Amino acid sequence: MTVRLTTQGEIVLEGTCSSGDAEILLQHIIATPARQVDWRACEFAHTAVIQVLMAANPKLLGPPAGSCLRDWLSPILELS
Amino acid sequence: MNDFLRQFLIESRELVAQATDGLLLLEQSPANAECIDSVFRAFHTLKGGAGIVEFAAMERVVHSAEERLVQVRSGKRTLDPGLAGECLACLDQVSAWLDILERTGALPADRDPKADMAIDAAGILDSPADEIRSAAGMPVPQNWTASLLSRNSSVRGTAVSAIRFVPDRDCFYQGEDPVARMSALPRLLALDLEPVSAWPPLSDLDPYSCNLILTALTGSSVNDVSAHMQGHSGDCEVIAVSAAAASRMEGPLPRNVCKILEEQLALLDVEKVQHLPGRIASAGITAANTMQYCGRHDHAEALKRALGSGVGEHARVSLRDAIMRLLASDSAAPAQKAEPSQPPETITRTLRVDAGRIDSLVRLTGELTIAKNAMGHTAKLAQANGDSVAGLLKEQHGALERLIAQLQGSVIGMRVLPLRSVFQRFPRVLREMASSLGKAAKLEIEGEDTEADKTIIEMLFEPLLHIVRNAIDHGVEDANERLKRGKPRVATIQLRAAREANQVLIEVADDGGGIDVERVREVARSRGVAMETDLRTMAEADVIDLVFAPGFSTATKVTEISGRGVGMDAVRKAVEKVGGRVSIASRAGQGTTVSFSLPFSVLMTQVMTVEAGGQAFGIPADAIVETVRVASEGISGVGDARVIVHRNRTIPVLELGTVLDGSQKSRAREETHATVVIAAVAGQWVGIQVDRPGERMEVILKPLEGLLSGTSGIAGTTLLGDGRILLVLDIGELLQ
Repeated sequence: MTVRLTTQGEIVLEGTCSSGDAEILLQHIIATPARQVDWRACEFAHTAVIQVLMAANPKLLGPPAGSCLRDWLSPILELS
Repeated sequence: MNDFLRQFLIESRELVAQATDGLLLLEQSPANAECIDSVFRAFHTLKGGAGIVEFAAMERVVHSAEERLVQVRSGKRTLDPGLAGECLACLDQVSAWLDILERTGALPADRDPKADMAIDAAGILDSPADEIRSAAGMPVPQNWTASLLSRNSSVRGTAVSAIRFVPDRDCFYQGEDPVARMSALPRLLALDLEPVSAWPPLSDLDPYSCNLILTALTGSSVNDVSAHMQGHSGDCEVIAVSAAAASRMEGPLPRNVCKILEEQLALLDVEKVQHLPGRIASAGITAANTMQYCGRHDHAEALKRALGSGVGEHARVSLRDAIMRLLASDSAAPAQKAEPSQPPETITRTLRVDAGRIDSLVRLTGELTIAKNAMGHTAKLAQANGDSVAGLLKEQHGALERLIAQLQGSVIGMRVLPLRSVFQRFPRVLREMASSLGKAAKLEIEGEDTEADKTIIEMLFEPLLHIVRNAIDHGVEDANERLKRGKPRVATIQLRAAREANQVLIEVADDGGGIDVERVREVARSRGVAMETDLRTMAEADVIDLVFAPGFSTATKVTEISGRGVGMDAVRKAVEKVGGRVSIASRAGQGTTVSFSLPFSVLMTQVMTVEAGGQAFGIPADAIVETVRVASEGISGVGDARVIVHRNRTIPVLELGTVLDGSQKSRAREETHATVVIAAVAGQWVGIQVDRPGERMEVILKPLEGLLSGTSGIAGTTLLGDGRILLVLDIGELLQ
């Protein structure tokens, strides 16, 4: 699973998150009051996933593993 | 009018001129970023000025034009002739308002309907934002490149292209990944994402409907970026970011601003978390306000956004990073930072002085010259009397003479302006005339730095305008005719100026069809401008010169452009009034050249003094052809008039003593020989019989005042060294 909910109620993104993961991520975020996403192990995320992160503006636990996410997207998502 | 309005008028006129020049230049070279900047700044400052004096109508008109220029500035469109015309029309309206304001001291009463008309006419009401909409129907902000560059100021210097990509909403279903595509752009320098419309509540969010605008800066060319973006679904715009455009966005932050930001940083950096929420809020607001103060609204917004995430640790970190980025991008330009303390050495310092004050200085210099001449006369008297102080007086007179000559030079220099101020109006004039006549013509200007007296500059526009009109209307052939004659389709009108000793030479040359000499003969005959017998023997150049004769016009149909009732005779009259001459040369099929020869300064007039009827007169030296002594019997009577025959010409002779004072009979008639000064005015020769010729001298003329101001035949007066008054003649008036 590239998107999963830990037993502690934390959302974790791992590896390559495809567009299909966007819907799951959204549901997890809606379901968890903490709204914290750990994307330290995330290598890549599809635009749809990024969009959900932007709209939900959860607390991100980073930096992410993928260089593109780290260099370009984490500054944007942290500010949004 | 209060000082405030006066200043507004002066500045607005300068700005209108600056904007007009820039717009015309931009039409020639639309990519000139510096010029775009200059035009934009002029419009912007004009608008600001209008706001200060609460001239809302002008503000609206200028704003509407400025809005369009924003697109030009952001590279979204080029300045086509249509847009240039619209902006120029706005400037025309502003100029008309400024005229009224200057005349009446009050804002024009009909300003609001006029503003509506101007905006309507320019077609600016249909907001440009309506024209450029993305596929999603959202307007494209006009200055996205500017805000993108200012948000990413650290890469300003290296950015080559800017991209704005709005993917289709259903692009995810087509297997597209816009962020991946953008982040793989060659030489990506900055990437930014923002929602097209505000995010809905999460429960309503459709994760598969793309609601993003992606913007990026890259170090790659527009072509490379366009190639990379090919095949996408959505709206994509790629714009070249010139180095100049990138760097003009912002200069370094002022020193005091850096200091304030550093203090906010210190506030955020403290280890102790006491009063953290208060500190964060305070630092964030102070930093945002500071940026707002510097006009960096995007940065202010970014800081507010950082603060918007709350006042917890997350906000502290993002705020700190945002401020640090600001300071870091600023120190990226250390060379600029060192500058402010040292003002540049070669700074042009100008001082606006009312023309009236300079004129009074001119008058005083004239008086001083007269006093000096009187002193010279006293020195001569003292010498004749063998007075011991004669030597000393003469010496001091010499010193005074040198100083006054220098003073005159400086004063004349103050009244001098470059011809550019007249010439620069012609590109626009030519553009409008040519387009209204359906002819293609370009203007070449040469020597616009040549200087001349203010009076000359001020009188020049009308005559030049007339000549240029004639050139386009009558001189330049239709495009088809030109091609048939093997000429380039676009005609060339040249406007040249040069200084030659004390003369300023100006030429207007066209490469049109030239003057039809036979046609001029015919018209001159039919309108009685010249006598049949004269016409037959006249040289070609003299025939062409007849176009300057009163009542002459070769136009077969009166056009709006050149048929305004102002003939070439008015041109000659205006030029001669300031002591200049105008002549015309033409070659059939090759074009016409009109040459003006004007005095450099109108302050100093070269005169030859003569005596007649016991009075001293001055004859302007530039009108004098020669002085001859003729035997009394050489002067023959033709009816009431008296003439001499000289150089195969029959020249009427006026007896100066009797012309100006009919009662007194001059001594000259009783003598065996008469002295006749031959002068030429408007191509006509006239002999002026005088008692005695005197010396040549340079004088500053004082116009006739009070009761004498209506006296005809006298151009002005000056005092001679011995206290006598010298009346300087106006030969043209004398002839009438």
